[in-house]
Amino acid sequence: MGLGVIILELVAPLLELLAPLMPGDTFPAFFKLEMAQRSLIAAIMVTIVAGFLGLFLIMKNQALMGDGIAHVSFGGIAVGVVLGASSPLWYALLFAIIASICINELQSREILTGDASIAIFLTGTLALGLFILKVWEGDEFTGVAEIHSYLFGNLLLMPEESLDLIALVCVVSLILLAAMRNALLATTIDPFAARIQGIPVRRIELLFSIITAAVVVSMVKVIGALLVTALLVTPAATAKQISSSFKSCVFMTQVVGLISVISGIYVSAEMNSGTGSTIALVAAIIFVIVLTSKSAFNLVIKKHEN
Amino acid sequence: MAKQQMNPTARFFEQLDSAVQKKREGNLISTNPITINFPPRNLNRSTALEVSNLTVIRSGKTILEDINLEIKTGDFVAIVGPNGSGKSTLALSILGFLKAHNGTIKIFEEKPLSKKLNGRIGWVPQAAANLPKDLKVTVEELVMLGTVDAKNMFFRPNAERKSRVKKAIEKVGLEPYSKTDISKLSGGQKQRAVIAKAIASDAEFIIFDEPLVGIDKETRNSLLKLLDNLCHDEGKTILMISHDITAMRQTAHRMVYLEEGIRYDGPSSSFPDFSLLAAIRGIVQVHDAPKEVKPKEEE
Repeated sequence: MGLGVIILELVAPLLELLAPLMPGDTFPAFFKLEMAQRSLIAAIMVTIVAGFLGLFLIMKNQALMGDGIAHVSFGGIAVGVVLGASSPLWYALLFAIIASICINELQSREILTGDASIAIFLTGTLALGLFILKVWEGDEFTGVAEIHSYLFGNLLLMPEESLDLIALVCVVSLILLAAMRNALLATTIDPFAARIQGIPVRRIELLFSIITAAVVVSMVKVIGALLVTALLVTPAATAKQISSSFKSCVFMTQVVGLISVISGIYVSAEMNSGTGSTIALVAAIIFVIVLTSKSAFNLVIKKHEN
Repeated sequence: MAKQQMNPTARFFEQLDSAVQKKREGNLISTNPITINFPPRNLNRSTALEVSNLTVIRSGKTILEDINLEIKTGDFVAIVGPNGSGKSTLALSILGFLKAHNGTIKIFEEKPLSKKLNGRIGWVPQAAANLPKDLKVTVEELVMLGTVDAKNMFFRPNAERKSRVKKAIEKVGLEPYSKTDISKLSGGQKQRAVIAKAIASDAEFIIFDEPLVGIDKETRNSLLKLLDNLCHDEGKTILMISHDITAMRQTAHRMVYLEEGIRYDGPSSSFPDFSLLAAIRGIVQVHDAPKEVKPKEEE
């Protein structure tokens, strides 16, 4: 029995208790049916870790790292599908971790700085995936639906193995990120000063890259490779607008992320739209609302002051 | 070698004599920099930094060649010089982030980046340019990061670390802003916050890289006062990189002029005036004697 199943069994009674309180026709099913409960739990776990991770990615000015790794993992998935793996996510995990280590090395050795190294891996492995699919599977390729589900996410199709993988990655990553948050923040702000204080900067950055890779892969199933950034960056960017300290920013990121995911699932269930895209859309809308109301609020305050 | 073993005070007077002699003879030439070692107030002070025969090459270009520098604990030394003279390269080499092509660097008798130096050195870069733009931390949270080290990085700050943070913020005069988001501060306040971070780390030897850039007159003066207090009241050793020669002349004990090697190393009070500096740097007179200005012909 994997970690995902254990968490599911722990949380299921609570979800069933909440089910009658939930609005809508289809939405309460997410709290009743085991199949849908798996999806809901996976989505919530992924959101919590992604928000925390995204906050650091934004501060490191690496918002596109998530997108890059997601494309890399798509290459891995394609290889897995061709090899007939039961859970191609493991291949994606392998690809993503290797790519993130390489990107980190390229950046820290200043061979290629910033986004360029991400771009090379993003396109390179995506192209590899497409190439392999075309050459090995040819025109009578039957796995289009499966590939599609990894590109745009298919939350409703959440087998136990995927939930176990997602749960393992999320729990381990969250514990590691929480433990090294101070060292990570110090490294982000000034790597030189951090190194002089005795913080093992290179090891911290390497571990952070691996965690990023693992979390992004766990998100692919939930929201889709093309939409990963929506849960990784948007809640953190929204929270940044309305908080004044790191602590409050961490808290607000979770609030915004969970609201996006749960209302996204609600809307998609009721309107029968794709879950991944609906979550991404809701997250973007929340960002716009927060930003405009903040500007309006500031304008009103200024007028009152005058 | 014999010169090295000489009593520092005697050496100082000898060098002073020879400098005066040279000046009288009128052959003060740029290739022979005058070196007047600052007589230490306390001869027993230990060495904080010793750079010997340092040569640094970056992407095929020799930035520093055969640099020798010794700093005693409690000194306030300014490294001045024009842009591109290798001041920042020297700082990064001292810290151990740039590889020396030749020569040795010792901080408190240890190699740069040695584990024994953890927490003993502080680094203050130009805050406005170096703080990430998308940062969301309060002054208190930022300064707290200065107390993180290899041993405590996985733990929440204890009372001792918290009191260090509080004291550091008080020292730089940012108490009213301790809960304020750093992005809402002015350039000078940001610089103070970053200095507080270095103070909170309890470093004995603090290296500043251009902290005076882009801040107004009042802030600059209060920053200089703060650095002076750090040196005199707290006994910190300070090495400051700056191209603000006049500000450094008022504050530092000793100045080192860097341009294709060390051109001056001595007390700030005897730092050469403009004409002497031009001679040391080998800048030639470009203007002839003023000519009479002819009125323009009208077309």
